[in-house]
Parts: sequence; C-alpha cells; structure tokens
Amino acid sequence: MTIKVLAFAGSPRRHGNSEMLLDWVLASMAEDPEVSVEKAALTEANINICRGCNACEKLNKCIQRDGMDIYHDKIIDADIILLSAPIYCMGIAAPAKALIDRMQVFRSRKYVLRLPVIPPERKGKRLGAFLASAGQDWPHVFDAAIPSVKCFYHVIDIRDADISYLMINHVDEKGAIGTHPTAQADAVQLGKTMIAEIRKRLAA
Amino acid sequence: MTVTVLGISGSPHRHGNTETLLDSFLDGARSAGAVVEKVVLKDLDYSACRGCNACHKDGECIVKDDAIPLFERMMAADCVVVASPIYSMGITAQLKGFIDRGQFLWARRFVTKTLEFSPEHLARHKGIFISTAGQNRDNVFDGAYPSLTALFHDAGFEYYGNIVANNMDEHKGIKNHPTALADAFRKGQTIVAEIEKLKTQQGI
Repeated sequence: MTIKVLAFAGSPRRHGNSEMLLDWVLASMAEDPEVSVEKAALTEANINICRGCNACEKLNKCIQRDGMDIYHDKIIDADIILLSAPIYCMGIAAPAKALIDRMQVFRSRKYVLRLPVIPPERKGKRLGAFLASAGQDWPHVFDAAIPSVKCFYHVIDIRDADISYLMINHVDEKGAIGTHPTAQADAVQLGKTMIAEIRKRLAA
Repeated sequence: MTVTVLGISGSPHRHGNTETLLDSFLDGARSAGAVVEKVVLKDLDYSACRGCNACHKDGECIVKDDAIPLFERMMAADCVVVASPIYSMGITAQLKGFIDRGQFLWARRFVTKTLEFSPEHLARHKGIFISTAGQNRDNVFDGAYPSLTALFHDAGFEYYGNIVANNMDEHKGIKNHPTALADAFRKGQTIVAEIEKLKTQQGI
C-alpha cells in the first residue's frame, strides 16, 4: 500500500515558519516506507487567481492553463493533503487564498454538475491538515482563515472532522518557530497520527 | 467642502454583482457632491507581499509596483470603499493580495512608530466594505471582516460599516435583489453628508 501525501506550502517566503511546520510533518510522515510525499511551493507552482468567470459550471474544467493542470489530478489522487500558510493581515496569505479559490472547479463539479469529485469508494478515506503561523500573539488570529480552509477541503471531499489543525501564533521573524516550545514535537506527532489514521481508513 | 471617495473593486469579474453594488454606492456619493474615483484591482499590476519584513526596518516596501501608489491614493481620500465578492468563504485572492501589501503601514504604526492617526483623523476618514455572496448563509461574510479591519486601521480609517448582500445565487444577481442597490445608493449619500459635517466641525 502506498500512502500518497500532497503538500502545498502557501507562504510567499520560502522556508519560513509555516513551511518549517509543514516540513516537520512531512519528514515525520516520510519515515514510514509506504508514504510517498510530494511538496509544492506555491511561489513556484504557477497558480493564477480564479477569474470568477463561472465557466467551470458548464465545462467541468477551468479555462485557465497553468499549474492547476498538474495539481488538479494530484489533488484527486492524494490520500492526505496538507496546506501550510502564514496569517497576513488577519487572514490567510494571498498565495494560499489563490489556491483555495481555484478549487471552484471542484465546487462546480460537486454542486452544479452533480458529478463525483473522488470515486465513491474513497469517501472518508482522505485526510487534511492546515499548518499555520502568525506573528500576532492573539489567540483569535487564525479565526478568519479557518472558514476558507474548511471550504478548500470540503469541495475536494475531505470532511470537516478529517481536517487537523496545527496553528502557532507569536512567531514572526524567519525561523522563530524553531525555538517554540511545542511546535516541532506537535508537528512530528501530527505526522505520525495522520499516517496511522489513514492506514486504518484505507484498510477498512 | 469637498469630500473625496475612492472605490476599490477587488473582483476579478468585471461588472458583476459586487462591482454593481459598489457602483451604486459611488453614484449615491456622487449625487451628494463627492468627488468619486474607482480603481479596479484587476487592471493593476502588483505582486503578493513577500513576507521579507524589510519594511520593519524603515517602513518602506521594497517591491515597486502598483500596490504602494494605491495605498497612497487611498490615504489621500476621505472615504474608501473596498469591494470584494466572497470566494471560498473569504475575500478574493486579488483583494487579499492588495491588503497584504499594506504591511508597510502596519510597520510604520507599530515597529518604526512613524505613523499615527489622531482620533479626529480617524473620525473623519471612513472605510466601508461592500460584498456579495452566492451562498445564503448569514456567516458567509464573517471571514472577510478581520482583514478589512486590518486594512482600514493601518491606513487611518474608521471601519464605518459593511454593505453586504448574500444569496445572490437565488436572487439571480444583485439587480433582482429587492433592496441592496437602493440601500447602497442611500448609504453613499449619507456618508458624504456625515463626512462633510465632520470636516466642517473640525475646521478642515
């Protein structure tokens, strides 16, 4: 059994706090020999913003030809989809929001065209996790990002109950998360827990 | 006493529901004697905030494109009206991309401490958010407000209020909404009168 993990690093700053969090989770997952990991940095993924043209409601595909041509199928194929992003101005950073908005093609497929997004036998056998960092120390700094994250996973058939969250506030300067008392251990644990859970689901 | 109003349209979809609602507000403001301008973000060229934190040193953004001049235009206006449809439970990536670039203003306020707004300034500068959503859920706009709060506060505007209309899918567009366009027009008139009064009181 191969467990396919697809990860999007949604920060415009490479190898910063949110991506470090993601890398810890991925390294922990990759210790399992049956796990295959693919990570995409949105700074290099060439994903344009959604134009709001609604053509996908008729065509069942996006009219834009860009990086999403590659990731569309990978999103369907993956067993685990991870998204990391920092919070900027109290919301998810714009490049991650651009990816989320491009999920519109799946929303149209699901709710307008009434077609399956994933084969019915894979329902409930996909997991997601949102890994976020924020400079502010307010506990509510992640609140506004969560509805969009839920939307992202919902339209690609990952249920609310199957989304994990690891969100670390009060880390701003690049690498600050490295000295956070619990972030790395929690990320490693999250990786292990998710792999154990997906293995159970896939075997069922 | 001239009142200046700047509308910023954050929809990638020209002349759709949100921009039409914005236009109605701007028409109302114009009818009350304001000098009105509208900027469409789709026509501008700006990149996402890089999260480089260079602005934390001197309050200046190192990325030279259309974003910073728009912040300057915004801060020269008495009233700024920012419009975005709701995509995936949040503002569009296009508007979020612009808001994130306002980090240099946050840096000026809280890091370099070179930007401060008096209570009088905040009282006479009003920020308004205009939005529409296809969904009929009441909470569909909630994820948008915190980023607008950040934008308005960092640029020296009181967050005056929201003009929002949900359930566009069922109404078949803003033009069929029973009250939204007329309400927006009236609010455009009201706010200009209110700012005019404040400016007179403050002897501006």
